[in-house]
Amino acid sequence: MEKERLKVLVADDSLSDRMILQSLVSRLGHEVIPATDGQEALELFQADTPDIVLLDALMPRMDGFEVAQAIKENGSEDLIPIIFLTSLSDAESLARCLQAGGDDFLSKPYNPVILEAKINAMNRMRQMHATLQRQRDQIAEHNKHMLHEQQVAKSVFDNVAHNGCLDAPNIKHLLSPLSVFNGDVLLACMKPGGGMHVLIGDFTGHGLPAAIGAMPLAEIFYGMTRKGFALGDVLREINRKLKLILPVGFFCCAAMVDLDFDQESAEVWIGGLPELMLCRGDETVALKSNHLPLGILSADGFKADAYRFEMRHGDRLYLWSDGIIEAENPRGEMYGDARLRAQFKDGGDNPDLFDKLRDDVIQFIGSGEASDDLTLVELKMVPGADMVSVVENTSTGGVLGPRDWTFSYELRGDSLKSFDPVPVVMNLVLEVPELRSRSGDIYTILTEFYSNALEHGLLGLDSALKRSPDGFAEYYHLRGERLERLSEAFLSFTLKHTPLPDGGELTIDVLDSGQGFNVEKVNQSLEQAGSQAFSGRGILLIRRLCQRVEYSEGGRKVVAVYQWQRERGKA
Amino acid sequence: MSETALYEPAMLAELRTVMEEDFTLLVETFLTDTQTRIRSISEALQQGDADAFRRACHSLKGSASNLGLTELEHFARRGEEMGHSGSLDGAGERLDEISAAFSRIEPVLKAEITGS
Repeated sequence: MEKERLKVLVADDSLSDRMILQSLVSRLGHEVIPATDGQEALELFQADTPDIVLLDALMPRMDGFEVAQAIKENGSEDLIPIIFLTSLSDAESLARCLQAGGDDFLSKPYNPVILEAKINAMNRMRQMHATLQRQRDQIAEHNKHMLHEQQVAKSVFDNVAHNGCLDAPNIKHLLSPLSVFNGDVLLACMKPGGGMHVLIGDFTGHGLPAAIGAMPLAEIFYGMTRKGFALGDVLREINRKLKLILPVGFFCCAAMVDLDFDQESAEVWIGGLPELMLCRGDETVALKSNHLPLGILSADGFKADAYRFEMRHGDRLYLWSDGIIEAENPRGEMYGDARLRAQFKDGGDNPDLFDKLRDDVIQFIGSGEASDDLTLVELKMVPGADMVSVVENTSTGGVLGPRDWTFSYELRGDSLKSFDPVPVVMNLVLEVPELRSRSGDIYTILTEFYSNALEHGLLGLDSALKRSPDGFAEYYHLRGERLERLSEAFLSFTLKHTPLPDGGELTIDVLDSGQGFNVEKVNQSLEQAGSQAFSGRGILLIRRLCQRVEYSEGGRKVVAVYQWQRERGKA
Repeated sequence: MSETALYEPAMLAELRTVMEEDFTLLVETFLTDTQTRIRSISEALQQGDADAFRRACHSLKGSASNLGLTELEHFARRGEEMGHSGSLDGAGERLDEISAAFSRIEPVLKAEITGS
């Protein structure tokens, strides 16, 4: 290692002693700044900022003790070691040197070997101190930077995640407001055909690593839900994405709920979250996690099978992350699973259960700190009509989608067996900004036409079968069987959108390669309002939504014309 | 009187090496400074200032030690120790010892720099 050339201040009033020391220090390769007394030493110290100070204890004008004290009090963060030059030998004087800020002693007569060793030792101390200061400053800087990044991540995430309908009348929720993203997410979104998806997630870790996963999760959840994808599809895509982007050991414990307000049923998928509670009438049922968290399994190993159950209007589901269970009071005790369960024991049918639960947890914590995040949500099954007012924040950004286009999409052979084309087609339709708020209409039309073309057109199933419970099972049995045997079939969607002066017109054309049916008969029965002759509920609804619905080509083709008008007061 | 050696020739030789061409200047400086210090010691004694007496002895002790002047260092130390007590009893003797030691070492040092 190359020797460092140091600036050494040598202060001694005795000229001969100073000459000797100056020679010794110079011979070690250092630069000497000589001072003849204390006052001059201090002035030179301030002017030249030496690396090490050699200071005689007894000097005129200002003695070594005073100089040392002044140097140590100068406010600089750098450590500048002081070696006292002294032949003082009594303990009291040596203690005084240390008290004044001396770091070492060198006694007369000067020994060159000891002098070198001491200068080197002091220099190591000085460097160590400088390293320490630098690292401390770096750590402080990094910490500041990290906090800032986390705040940015949090605000970006808030923008992504709050683009939902957590304020819907059937949801009560508690999310602790932390400035840094704490790993918990709670998302809710209306489905295009009515119904609602809710996702509660708890990412491993806090801050940036957790937020990194939360952003695509929210994007996928909202994007796919709005386009009509089913719970399983959404989860499969989120899992695939998280598995791809999150490092090993990072994942997201989650539960996702699909509420069908009209059928009064629910589907729930739980992966790694604490069990959730279903309050049905006066009965309380616990649903346990039966999957691994999101982001662990590869796409092949991932299972999206969910609990399916009936939920009458007024029934409620309670979900939470483990932050509630791990919430600590000032004595370090955890709220715990038992306390949480007790709340349900005394009345699952209490309509104010959510408030009671929330207040109990908050009261328990008192002045203690929540160790994790407190996320608690109540979902209530309500009549679909109660949800009509729920308006999604579907900000479209500055880019306007196309309004004048034609699109054709044909599925053939094996692709017909497992692939649902509706979300893909929806995706395209929703590029027309004004159609987003009408996505429920479009979704209803597309799903009805698709299932008619597939089940009646291609598979030749008779919907009359579905009217009896046995027939219902038979219907689905046949459906599976015939799908399996399907070959050389096709089903195509042709969509055309044209702008009108105060709105637009969407033409949906669905054609299949099946046997078709008696168009005359169907058209006739459709004229008789309320007729059930052709399992007509769906098609009647579509006739109400559309300007025109026409069957042709022997029942193999259906064309619907859907018109929309710009709302008044909007551009 | 104790049998203290006058000086350590080895140390002086080492200093000659360390100081190179400044060796002569060093010795001359020491001789001048020492005369000044002995004067200061004498003045402190006359003024009855024990602390000044001690400090001047202390300084002399340090400088003498740096040149390896064993005897002069020894007497300067005795003077310093006496000064510590705060009284100047026997200070005259201490001054005499120091002056005598200096007069013994002075010709030795002069010979060192004139290259005898």
